[in-house]
Amino acid sequence: MGQTFVEQVLARKAGLEAVVPGQIVTVRPDKLLTHDNTADISSKFRRIGLDKVADPGINVIVLDHVVPAANETYATNHQIIREFVAEQGISAFYDVGEGICHQVLPEKGHAWPGAVIVGSDSHTTTHGAFGAFSAGIGRTEAAAVMATGKIWLRVPESFRIVIDGDMSERVMAKDVILYIIGDLRADGANYCSVEFTGEAVQAMSVASRMVLTNMAAEMGAKNGVVEPDENTRAWLAGRVDHAYEEVHADSDATYERVITYDASEIVPQVAKPHTVDNVAPVTEVAGTPIDQALIGTCTDGRLEDLAAAAEIVRGRQVAPGVRLLVLPASREVLLDAIEQGYVSDLVTAGATLLNPGCGPCLGAHEGCMAPGEATISTANRNFKGRMGSKEAFIYLGSPATVAASALTGVITDPREM
Amino acid sequence: MRKTEVKGRLWILTDLDGELFNDIDTDMIFHNQYLHITDVEEMGQYTLDNLSGWEDFAEKAREGDVIMAGKNFGAGSSRQQAVDCFRALGIVAIVAESFGAIYKRNAINSGLPIVAFPGLTEHADAFETGVEVAVDFETGQLTLKGGETFEAEPFSQVQMDIYQAGDLFAYGKEMGEQQ
Repeated sequence: MGQTFVEQVLARKAGLEAVVPGQIVTVRPDKLLTHDNTADISSKFRRIGLDKVADPGINVIVLDHVVPAANETYATNHQIIREFVAEQGISAFYDVGEGICHQVLPEKGHAWPGAVIVGSDSHTTTHGAFGAFSAGIGRTEAAAVMATGKIWLRVPESFRIVIDGDMSERVMAKDVILYIIGDLRADGANYCSVEFTGEAVQAMSVASRMVLTNMAAEMGAKNGVVEPDENTRAWLAGRVDHAYEEVHADSDATYERVITYDASEIVPQVAKPHTVDNVAPVTEVAGTPIDQALIGTCTDGRLEDLAAAAEIVRGRQVAPGVRLLVLPASREVLLDAIEQGYVSDLVTAGATLLNPGCGPCLGAHEGCMAPGEATISTANRNFKGRMGSKEAFIYLGSPATVAASALTGVITDPREM
Repeated sequence: MRKTEVKGRLWILTDLDGELFNDIDTDMIFHNQYLHITDVEEMGQYTLDNLSGWEDFAEKAREGDVIMAGKNFGAGSSRQQAVDCFRALGIVAIVAESFGAIYKRNAINSGLPIVAFPGLTEHADAFETGVEVAVDFETGQLTLKGGETFEAEPFSQVQMDIYQAGDLFAYGKEMGEQQ
């Protein structure tokens, strides 16, 4: 009988011939990703009573959530992490300024097809864009993985989401995934492994595929994955310096659900406050006033996102009273965007350029909202109170929609610009 | 051995329409403004203070209480404080139609009893806040004080093993000693 992607990966890692959904397996993850929460995780690790982590080679630590430190508490946490990294001999440590963990991890060669990656962040699903099994875990569990090098996993059921057809002009991967989440709802793929496939996915850049797998978390998925192909291999060349064995789902594998979408029918989408599955076509919310526009985050802060925004704002000005914040996802993205002239386009138009990192997405610094304000953001979450005041409103859209809205001061269909 | 059946006063988390609250996310359970707190005992007071209609839950909850909610409880971020805050309050079980995937793991690994009850929404009328309910982790049976019973999902083996050990660390230690 054929096997899905996740069944093959977990069977191989567990040293078994085959596994079935619901089965509990114990595997050794290839990578353990942690970020600013490494301070707390390291203190949990110390409570276990061990001196050394099981294998410092699996640790990837990226400071991204509140960088540079916004106050003494955050600064002290960063200090604890730097000391832990030095003491444990962890080489894959990326300090303030390198970027967001979900961008830096693959850029530095820590994701590859067939890898098992776990991380103490819910958007660890992102790395499925490289054909890896990649899932979020909690802090206690991250400490346990540091201690043992192992983790128990329940083999998930699988969904196959087929996206056929060609995407229309000014429609981005973000619009496609918002449309799907609106259809399947926030728990539509709960605990499941979601395989994204179809003509539209094959035609997508690796960056666009990362948007799909990043937001798989918002439909409850355990992991999201895109089958590796020439695009993947080209992206990884020069980054991953060892051989890897790709995992491809069998054509006769068994899926809990197979769902097909036609990308050509999808228009720009917006998630309205306060849930990600509260999705409407942009035309339905067009005209809603905004105070702030945010382009960046682990969802949409890559070069093609900045390019789409730059193309729209080039030669124009951000509307009076609107704060346009731009955060490239990593140093590499920032350097490329400088070279391509996108940074100049955006800043000339009135954008405020912030350092690579998570920025205001999680409401800790660099652009929190006052009561009654509204932000349109390229992020993946619009939960009540996520970006400052609990009385503020967050709308989610593509970089093109956010850029168009920043120019007009109201939510705007990017196809009109 | 820890008890495999608990009895406690029930809290039904309902939304502003009075329906079982679905998709309660981790920001509603434990808001991001308190994420710098690392002492579990301190977390209890902020439990559910960003959930509309339940802002004062921490003051009303007592040790030994049981919580009931709708679909996808604990959706969203991987923050473990959203599990630990209930442990700090002494909540003995959370029963929901379903749980967010990471939340489920965090709860299991922390030894916080969570019980999935598919179909709960259909039976929601049978339960009310304040009544006593017994939850059997081995069989998945819920029993109301009047004797009425319902079949939820029993603990999985790994969940029971971790629960009996205390938490994931204690469980890992036991595993290590057996090897």
